[in-house]
Amino acid sequence: MVHITGNFLAESPLSPKAREALADAIDQGWSDPRKLAHSAAKARILQEGALASLAQNLGVRTEEIEILGEPALGHFYSIGGLLRPEETLVYSSVDRKEVFAIARGHQSSAEVGVDSSGQIKGQDVQKFARSQGVLALQAANGETGVIQDIEALIAQSGDLRIAADFSSAGTRVPLPSRWDSAFFDARSWQGPQGIGILAIRNGASWRNPLPHLGNTRTPQSVSLPLTIAAAVALEEWRASDQVESVRLRALSKELRDEVSASIENCDIAGKLEDSLPHITSFSFLYVQGEELLRRLELSGFAVDSGSACTAEDLQPSHVLAAMGVLTHGNIRVTLHHGCTSAEVQSLVIAIKVAVADLRA
Amino acid sequence: MMKELNCLGMRCPLPIIAVGREIKNIFAGESIHLLSDDPATEIDLRAWARMTGNQIEVKGPNEFLVTKSKVD
Repeated sequence: MVHITGNFLAESPLSPKAREALADAIDQGWSDPRKLAHSAAKARILQEGALASLAQNLGVRTEEIEILGEPALGHFYSIGGLLRPEETLVYSSVDRKEVFAIARGHQSSAEVGVDSSGQIKGQDVQKFARSQGVLALQAANGETGVIQDIEALIAQSGDLRIAADFSSAGTRVPLPSRWDSAFFDARSWQGPQGIGILAIRNGASWRNPLPHLGNTRTPQSVSLPLTIAAAVALEEWRASDQVESVRLRALSKELRDEVSASIENCDIAGKLEDSLPHITSFSFLYVQGEELLRRLELSGFAVDSGSACTAEDLQPSHVLAAMGVLTHGNIRVTLHHGCTSAEVQSLVIAIKVAVADLRA
Repeated sequence: MMKELNCLGMRCPLPIIAVGREIKNIFAGESIHLLSDDPATEIDLRAWARMTGNQIEVKGPNEFLVTKSKVD
């Protein structure tokens, strides 16, 4: 069995504090908070505390947030709740596949392009400024880490309502001055999988896009213990992220500089100064992404890939394609809180060896 | 005579690897006529041209002209 010494995947294990909170919540918060029993009252108090904490740390009001047990549905709730059948959905060529799926199922939609650094073309957004509809706006891309100038894009978007996607940016990008819905994923702050947070701005013209009974905005069937673990993980994250972000950005610079200096024909998606501090996407010419993942795995390093040979549908990454970046031989390196320079240095050596072997 | 390179049915990155191998066997100014139906070929061929300083032209569906621009 290969011992993984370096986890550079998008996912990471829960911190000890969040694990402890999860275990406690399983003991204390097992009841349905909507019921009248004493155990339910206890669960309700825990739920209210978790929601208040999440709201405060995300910069929204408690009554504005909804917790979703299926984060992939968050994009649908966020966009579909704002979008009317006769209106236009404007989205970018680097948006998530879930957004592409929503666009395909909607009668009027328009895709706007990005430049080679992954920035959405503002002049393309401006063309829809007089349209009635929704702008699906990604704060940062999960594959490349590229951060959008969301304030400038919103300023160019005219009458479009804004469905902001913070599922990758988390709290590393501030909420814009104007938004109607905003979607977060607890994994972006090293929280548990399976928790999405939808913020619906007070007064926003949003309605539940799925068949429903009663007046709840979302199904309310989410796990309370996971919600509490997500809130604890976010508190812990916020306490150290200002310092960690600076440190991880320096490590990412080290990683990018050393890999590009020592391996020729390496494409890096996006500039670090315009990107999240912890994500780097490398593509190596003449290298098969799947083989590269295997080699790194054998060396004890786990990374992600956007190459076609690693995708379920065998299609190249639409994000890399939209940017004109090489789509084969791709790996995505995610640096987590606590990641050390020594780990990054070991990864650089492993990448150099693996790429050289595969090109030989 | 132009070099023909038939990569139909090959999956990424094999067509680009084949182009990278064959480009070494032609002189600057000469071209390779590439056939490839892999969905990543056009995207990766453009990136390859940018990275290696060569030129490409899309001639039709699954058909590309790759021109060597520089001396090795």
